[in-house]
Amino acid sequence: MLETLKELCSLPGISGREKAIREYIISKIEGYAEYSVDPLGNLIVFKKGKFPAKNKVMLDAHMDEVGLIVTGITSGGFVKFAKVGGIDTKVIIGRSVRIGDGNIPGVLGIKPVHLTKKDEEADIPKDDDLYIDIGAKDRDEALLYVCPGDEIHFENDFCEFGDGFIRSKAIDDRAGCAILIDIIRSETEYDCWFSFSVQEEIGLRGAGASAFTVNPDYAVVAETTTAADLDGVKGDDRVCVAGGGATVSFMDRSTVYNRELYKFALETAKKNGIKVQTKTRVAGGNNAGSIHKSRGGVKVITVSVPCRYLHSPVSVCKYEDIVSSRDLIRALAEELASC
Amino acid sequence: MLRVNEMEYGAVKKLLSELCGVKGTSGLENDVAEKVTGLLSEYMPCKTDALGNVTGSKGEGHSILLDAHLDQIGLVVTGITDDGFLKIAKVGGADIRVLTAARVTIHGREKIPGVVTSVPPHLKSAKDDGKAPSFDEITIDTGMTAEQAKKIVSPGDRITFDGPFDTLIGNRIASPSIDDRAGVAAILRCLQLLEGKKTCRIDVLFSAQEETGGSGAKTGAFNSQADEAIACDVSFASAPDVSKEKYASLGEGTLIGYAPSLDYEMSRRLSRLAKEKDIPAVPEVMGGKTGTDGDDIQVAGRGIPSALLSIPIRNMHTAVEVVDLADIESTARLMAEYILERSSENA
Repeated sequence: MLETLKELCSLPGISGREKAIREYIISKIEGYAEYSVDPLGNLIVFKKGKFPAKNKVMLDAHMDEVGLIVTGITSGGFVKFAKVGGIDTKVIIGRSVRIGDGNIPGVLGIKPVHLTKKDEEADIPKDDDLYIDIGAKDRDEALLYVCPGDEIHFENDFCEFGDGFIRSKAIDDRAGCAILIDIIRSETEYDCWFSFSVQEEIGLRGAGASAFTVNPDYAVVAETTTAADLDGVKGDDRVCVAGGGATVSFMDRSTVYNRELYKFALETAKKNGIKVQTKTRVAGGNNAGSIHKSRGGVKVITVSVPCRYLHSPVSVCKYEDIVSSRDLIRALAEELASC
Repeated sequence: MLRVNEMEYGAVKKLLSELCGVKGTSGLENDVAEKVTGLLSEYMPCKTDALGNVTGSKGEGHSILLDAHLDQIGLVVTGITDDGFLKIAKVGGADIRVLTAARVTIHGREKIPGVVTSVPPHLKSAKDDGKAPSFDEITIDTGMTAEQAKKIVSPGDRITFDGPFDTLIGNRIASPSIDDRAGVAAILRCLQLLEGKKTCRIDVLFSAQEETGGSGAKTGAFNSQADEAIACDVSFASAPDVSKEKYASLGEGTLIGYAPSLDYEMSRRLSRLAKEKDIPAVPEVMGGKTGTDGDDIQVAGRGIPSALLSIPIRNMHTAVEVVDLADIESTARLMAEYILERSSENA
């Protein structure tokens, strides 16, 4: 699963440009399950188990990552852009990026600190003033390499470090994709449906359509969520903890989770000896927000990998939490299909 | 795949890429010093002095000192928190605005990766003051517990910023450490261009601790006591937020310093030579001192008349400094022409 995650994280795939991710996933599940691509680009997968399912269960993970998109080129040859998904400006200034199909390298420049006034040394530039330098001498030269609408992703250096940690872009939600791929490639007891969804980061656009198509009784969302277990952050403010295991939410900004299902998830973890924790703050949101409102309603639960520095070019998570999350999601899929 | 014009700039690119690939913050320049010693010893015998300068000398008679600084900005570990995060202070003029979410290398007992911590937008309160955190608030995540971290990292260990060595469009490079490996590359390239030519004495000073105040240049120049000196550093290039009227553009050429602290005759000679030899160059005028090693060299010992050649770069003191290889080549060529002319005059 680690090698799969590494390859997934290294591929480009901002919202609406999930093609490379989808093709990679197909290459990994070919022969293990039936699949189709829906009109929005969601990859919908059916995996036959040893037994038919009593309840239809759908597992979801989103393929897209946050990034940037080219909006124009200045007369001086600099690239202007918009953010795709929620990104704090602080984490992108001074970073390296790759643009478009040609993977053109560029950097987010900033006026040298030497030239700022003393009281402006810590001022973060306004989004409208940001630009990417690709080395072009003017607009015409730049247009030979990039054009408006090109996707921009963060230059990546996937690495394992510290005590079993991983550092990379796009762990949100390639970790979920890696988990689902792993389940599809393994032996399963019951029939199961999967949605690798598009466009989560710009407002849960894809998963609603795949839930409509699959029409499940239950859904389990495989996600990453905000771990704030940082220096000086205590107790509940940590939200969840890297190394604390699979993270189950009772409520977030997009979904009030089914109370019984929430309890059932915690019990299932306990029964199977899987490390589990509860998200201790009502924050963030994910595809559960659109899946639970599909058709006449779907009972949904989210199991997340606790992940630090979400939506930055360098998110950090612990590999053992991915394993715990996979184990819980697999156990839940089996239990819900047979209950 | 973008390619530089290998015929014209291949040599400079090779030097720059080798030099940017090693790290060395002020006061702990060991790795880059070792690399530079290897490169410089192809041209002259060289040694490392008490402060960590790498120096070399060859030839007889009239002497010209060439200087560029070895060190780069970075951070220093000041402590390890109970949760295993590193507390830091800056080494030289690190830019707080680009620290959040930066990839770093911690040079402890072994080199380990880390990342500057940040809070995701999901957990931000509605009001954002638009300010970067202060250095006191910054911590670095090593993915270790305090106990694990203490086995590898201790206060005083240095931290450098990571980033790729990227080839951009038009012979331009983006990389960490271009300040002042571009200057070091220019001097090494100059020595390459002078190979087989008869010159006066050339002293080379690859100085330590420029970013923390110029101690290396002061002592290194004292030891050299050359008759004249050319310092080679980087300067500001224009960008969308850096005035085109005030600062040179990338690719315009080497910047010939004019300042009260610099020797006027040397500056004028450089400008004349640039014109005669058709080397791209533009004047860079400063009102007092220059903020480079040139200031310290000028007043070393009984004083050394000094000139300054600068290479324009963008995003100075970030991990994405951008330079045009053509400007390094122009700097090297002009330096070489200067040495040849002075050598024949003093033969």
